[in-house]
Amino acid sequence: MKRSIPLAIVMVGGILFIIQYFIPHQHSQTLFDYYTEWAPIVGAFALVLGVGSLSRLHSHKIKRKAKNWQYSYAVLIPLFLVPFFALIMPESLGGGMLETMGGARTTQGVFDFTYMNIQVPIQATMFSLLAFYIASAAFRAFRAKSALATVLLLAAIIVMLGQVPIGELLGKWFPKVGLWILRYPNLGAKRAIALGVGFGMLATQLKIIFGVERNWLGGAGE
Amino acid sequence: MNIWEKMLNVDRRWIFLLIGIACIVPFFIPLGLPILPSAEVIGIYDHIEGLGPDNAIFVGFDFDPGTAAENMPMGVAVLRHAFARNIPVFVTAYTPLGQGMAAMAVEELTNESSADYFEYVNWEDWAAIREQGITDRAGIEEAWTAEGNSLPENARGWIFEGRDIALLGYLPYFHLVILGMSSSIASQFPTDIGGTPLEEMPMYQEHKSLREIDLAVTNAGSSACVAWITYGREKIGLPVAFGVTAVMATDYYIYIQSGQTVGQMGGLRGAAEYEVLLHDNGYSKEYGKAFVGMDVQNIAHLLIIFLVVIGNIAFFAGGFNKKTKLKGRR
Repeated sequence: MKRSIPLAIVMVGGILFIIQYFIPHQHSQTLFDYYTEWAPIVGAFALVLGVGSLSRLHSHKIKRKAKNWQYSYAVLIPLFLVPFFALIMPESLGGGMLETMGGARTTQGVFDFTYMNIQVPIQATMFSLLAFYIASAAFRAFRAKSALATVLLLAAIIVMLGQVPIGELLGKWFPKVGLWILRYPNLGAKRAIALGVGFGMLATQLKIIFGVERNWLGGAGE
Repeated sequence: MNIWEKMLNVDRRWIFLLIGIACIVPFFIPLGLPILPSAEVIGIYDHIEGLGPDNAIFVGFDFDPGTAAENMPMGVAVLRHAFARNIPVFVTAYTPLGQGMAAMAVEELTNESSADYFEYVNWEDWAAIREQGITDRAGIEEAWTAEGNSLPENARGWIFEGRDIALLGYLPYFHLVILGMSSSIASQFPTDIGGTPLEEMPMYQEHKSLREIDLAVTNAGSSACVAWITYGREKIGLPVAFGVTAVMATDYYIYIQSGQTVGQMGGLRGAAEYEVLLHDNGYSKEYGKAFVGMDVQNIAHLLIIFLVVIGNIAFFAGGFNKKTKLKGRR
């Protein structure tokens, strides 16, 4: 039962919505509208499971004083505090989500504060670090060791120079050749990859719908 | 240890320092080199240029703060263009943090201290005009000025909430949201993030589903582009344009060539190109943040190329390609 019911749901649902896609009738559209309303609700249960599982994992770590258990507080505290301020604590008491915007934006609650002064700078900083590490890595690892590596190196240099105005000052052909690389060799390779991935996804989805691929069941009922 | 080995073993903190300097100095000594817009960016600009108050577009802030340096100027530029042409804009977010990014973009465009700002008129503030049954853009502005409101000197225009903009925000499973909006926008977003019912908004009354939308511009640091193409463009023929980070840009040329997108802004360069188009066509007095940022990218790219070349010279001159094993890498 644990296996056959989920398999039946997936098969019926999968086939139904493949057929639905090709039927431009009002009833077909109504069915589809129901689905788009239900799916996020069903998905919300996954959020409950996820938060529950994460909380259990980290509270166990704290209880057992496992390695780096202190960091678990850094997960658990914001996990509950941010939604508390965003959704539960009223704006009048300093919590609340952004409800106005533009010139009329007045909300400066805790949620807004944490977003603007913690989340935004943290993420921006993490991404900015890439520039430093890429420069260091390029210096140490980007070598013309073989013919293919040399082609890669030259293409990278041309595209990099073609992407910035100073490249055009160094040589009028840099942007043109850079764009040519992006529009033709790059495009050809990307299309081949995209098609390969697309066909792979199609095959996997059909295997899931028809019950050939069952890994997603996670061993239920075995 | 010979000079080549010393060079290859240089402490990486020196490289970090050089990159740091390359990123900071151009802000104080701007180069202001000219930027020529590419066909991909002109495609988006021309498409929006062909729209007006009777049309409507979606602008997706489908990125997190991590890629805001690249994606934010794109979003701001497209919003500026739309507001200047009085095109109604539905603003959405593919990620939870994107909603805050969208609010920041609107704030930037409506901040009184910025050049060419737009004066924001809250939903409640023009309720009396709606009660008179005036919902067309020109009529609203006429009635608003007749009430004694005048545009401040350095303001470019008005933005009437619910007529020019609806900040819809984030919803989970956004690909399903796109699918749902192909039937009805209000079925997915009954209200905007301020709680104003969409059904009451004049812009919604004129454009009830994605089928009545003339363009969706997704400024993305995620897979949002594919979702908009798959469920917007391919299912209902919605014109889609991309604003993507530079590293993502290479992935999406396939959609340009196939004609599935009207254009693409790739990285900071793409945003700067859009700013140049806005500036040159009189939509803004000053260039935006992307144009300024390109100075940094000029120097940083040159520096990285210089480092790669130096690294290769040292590698081959030192004979490390043949025999010697490099010692003590840091």
